[in-house]
Amino acid sequence: MLPSDLLVVWKRKGVIWPRYAKLSDDNLEVATALIEAYKRHVGEKKSVLKEFVSELEDKGYEYRFVRGLSFLLDRRGIFKCNDRVNPVEFRRRIYQTTGKLGLPTTPEQRSRIIDTVASELKAGKEAIEEFLYADLDSELVLKKFDPLPPKELLEEYNLSLTQTLLFDSTELNFTASGNWQRIFYAVKKLGLIYEVSKDGKFWVKIDGPASLFKLTRRYGTATAKLLPVIIANPEWTVEAKILWKYDNEICDFKIESWKHRAVLKKPPLSAVSYDSIVEEDFASRFQALKSGWNLRREPEPVLAGKLVIIPDFSLEREGIKVYMEIVGFWTMEYLLRKIEKLKKVDVNMLVAVNEALACEKLASLKKHVQLHVIYYQDKIPLAPVLRYLDEAFRGVQATQKGLVKDLPIVFTEPVVNYEEFAARIGVSFEAVKTALAEKPPQDYAVLPNSLVRKEKLQEIGKRIDAQLCQKSRLPLTEALRIFEAEGVMDATSGLENLGYRILWHGISAEKAEVIKPQKSPTDLDRSI
Amino acid sequence: MAQLWFDKGTILLKGEVGTPYGKWDPRVGCYRIKAMHYRDVLAYLEESRIPFKDEVAELPPVQTLKDTVGLRSYQNEALSRWRRAGMRGILVLPTAAGKTYIALKAISFLKTQTLIVVPTLDLIDQWRRRVREFLNLDAGAVGGGENTVRMVTVSTYDSAYLQAEVLGNRFMFLVFDEVHHLASPSYMQIAEMYIAPYRMGLTATFERSDERHALLPPLVGDLVYSVGVEELAGEHLSPYSYEKIYVELTPEEQRVYESEMAVFRGYLKEKGIVLKDVEDFQRFIMATGRDRRAREALLARNHALKVALNSDAKLSLLARQLDAHRDEKILIFTLHNDLVYRISRRFLIPAVTYQTPKEERREILENFRSGEYKAIVTSQVLDEGVDVPDASLGFILSGTGSTREYIQRLGRLLRKVEGKKAKLMEIVSKETVEVGISRRRRQKPAGKV
Repeated sequence: MLPSDLLVVWKRKGVIWPRYAKLSDDNLEVATALIEAYKRHVGEKKSVLKEFVSELEDKGYEYRFVRGLSFLLDRRGIFKCNDRVNPVEFRRRIYQTTGKLGLPTTPEQRSRIIDTVASELKAGKEAIEEFLYADLDSELVLKKFDPLPPKELLEEYNLSLTQTLLFDSTELNFTASGNWQRIFYAVKKLGLIYEVSKDGKFWVKIDGPASLFKLTRRYGTATAKLLPVIIANPEWTVEAKILWKYDNEICDFKIESWKHRAVLKKPPLSAVSYDSIVEEDFASRFQALKSGWNLRREPEPVLAGKLVIIPDFSLEREGIKVYMEIVGFWTMEYLLRKIEKLKKVDVNMLVAVNEALACEKLASLKKHVQLHVIYYQDKIPLAPVLRYLDEAFRGVQATQKGLVKDLPIVFTEPVVNYEEFAARIGVSFEAVKTALAEKPPQDYAVLPNSLVRKEKLQEIGKRIDAQLCQKSRLPLTEALRIFEAEGVMDATSGLENLGYRILWHGISAEKAEVIKPQKSPTDLDRSI
Repeated sequence: MAQLWFDKGTILLKGEVGTPYGKWDPRVGCYRIKAMHYRDVLAYLEESRIPFKDEVAELPPVQTLKDTVGLRSYQNEALSRWRRAGMRGILVLPTAAGKTYIALKAISFLKTQTLIVVPTLDLIDQWRRRVREFLNLDAGAVGGGENTVRMVTVSTYDSAYLQAEVLGNRFMFLVFDEVHHLASPSYMQIAEMYIAPYRMGLTATFERSDERHALLPPLVGDLVYSVGVEELAGEHLSPYSYEKIYVELTPEEQRVYESEMAVFRGYLKEKGIVLKDVEDFQRFIMATGRDRRAREALLARNHALKVALNSDAKLSLLARQLDAHRDEKILIFTLHNDLVYRISRRFLIPAVTYQTPKEERREILENFRSGEYKAIVTSQVLDEGVDVPDASLGFILSGTGSTREYIQRLGRLLRKVEGKKAKLMEIVSKETVEVGISRRRRQKPAGKV
């Protein structure tokens, strides 16, 4: 972020945007010249360095651009006072001596004071003259400089320029793809307020508590700090209202990832860290279970009225999704707000609450069917979580099973793959399987992964029989190929269904053979 | 039951209750009320017999104080007018008339959690010393790296503004020292975001050239008391005299001044620009952001002005003056820091600017007070508030055209000490634009403050 007098903008018809430095040869040249100057001036006073900078301004470059770059480079340098001298002590002695001997109004009086102090401190007169104010900003010496490529300097400049413009923002709207938890965490930490609306994407409006009463730039600084967190994500659109201080006009500002990503510095996306040990511990124990539930951190936001909750986890299994929120140690006020929010959620959510927080208000959550509250002490117990998940799973399954059973569907295709079918009607595989097993459609054989029309199965049986006529045993691999050719995956079950037996010679399927036990064709029919 | 609590500089009201002060906030599903209306909302709910639970204030514990403040008659009058106005209001008294004591007496009377808001870090120190001395209390401080909230706390305007979200519900009484600062758009939010029902504004220079002081009464209370220098001079304030001395630029300075001003005037003439007032000038400054030649013209003018303001001739004159006043305690004021350090190096006297380390600054002021140091040179940081009781001679080497700045600098010399006769001297470069600047700053006779 830059001092606001270095902000350069275009403004036309109510639209404002920062004058971004293109990554052009000209601009890269200025950036290079400055970076080189900083490198060259290590060991010299800041005032000398700044003189070079102002010479560059005089060469026809926009002075705010040059100063802006220099401002950013200052922050990559370490400016220090010469540590062999103590200017504060020099001054103290000088002032004291002046106090005793009287204000010097002639050069002779003046050097008498300097001499006195020099001999007291056993320092040279020249040193005192030179270092009397060595701790002033302009006198500090550039001790170290951490250079960067000129392109990065321009990108950083552009980002800083954007943030500086946002100092004067009264509200910000954005959408982004990526890490929402981090964004909302930052919003909260910066004391901002958000409002969410969803039209395909989540749009988030950011301002602050007092924005309700009047347009205010009060939250501009916090908004500027939020920007890097938003644009660290792969896709984003950011819009803001800028209250332009020079004429009090409200202007629109907009940047989009596809267009502006190239000129803006991409802030580092910090690694995801768990908010608490409780979460981390739960995640690792849960994952070790291999329960069939897929645990994901930082799921997408869940709408709770106009606000969102970003649950700590989502747990998914075959299209069934349950969210989980851990309520650890918080202030009462926070807890109450959280409860209010949770009441508005319309997804299945598991709420794990620290026992120390148990209270009436929390108990009221239990009335909300989509919420399930469990308590924990030090760590979250897995058993109730699994029980709930299991119930949720079976509950959903039961509903879905009913759904499948009641579906007025007449199958016509020779093979019905459960997985495909489940996906087509939006229920789980298990639901389809159990529903169809309980009430198989007429003329179909029920196999573990599919329904196969009985005619089809018998057709396959005839082809296998034809092979078995020549030799009494058929390699299993051959039989599988026949099933495969007909689009039936459940070959082994199909074989059994048709009354064949598989002779295993060891554990390799390559060596297994199919034989036909001596049974009459009528038996076979009955067994289907 | 309705419920009230503090939320980041505002009050949230939950429950099916509308009030004349709240505004429905759809973002949180509650009524939101400006913190400054705290007392009004409570009164409204009580009058309407609406049951409510109030969790707004989080006050630091009350400490017992023992007040040893004695007020002069006009201070008593000011205090009682403020009390009659419902313990709100603005008091205008000249610098050195003891505004601090009125506020201390008010704190002692209210015996409630108080935040004193001041413009500078030096003033934090000064108020804390006074609270210690006259109320027998250790005051907390917010600003300048410190952050302790006590029953009486002193803060800078900056910190009070930046931390309104967390400090807004911790005090019942706000004292705004140099209250004219409060009228800036951002500082006004201090008044809005704090719940304190009792408020007092103190200043010697209430009126602002931008007229924004008219915005203060709804925030702090009406102007309830005003007294000028002439009513107090002699009896309560030091008598003072004023002198303006002209110097001629050195020949080299004269040459640079003329040629730079010629560039500036040439540009204005060429473009047909006339600069009549501040607004004209601001428009011109805006233009310099777009037009390279306009910027060159502006830089030339600034350079010329700097030559005039910082002329060597002024330093020579200052040397003669310092020689002639060896027994006085002297304050030297300039506009630019460059000149502060030139003077400090040449006369080996302590400099106080915004770059002076806090500890050193404290030490310099302490030693100046005790008499060990005879003079201080400063730019603008000591214009306001800092109390140097027996400083008797002031030099204005350069400044802006602001009346306020002038009055404040003068005020540094007016603290009453028996037998003291203060003198303020202005040193101005002859036949330069500085003559006009100097005239502007004294447009209102100092007596009419």
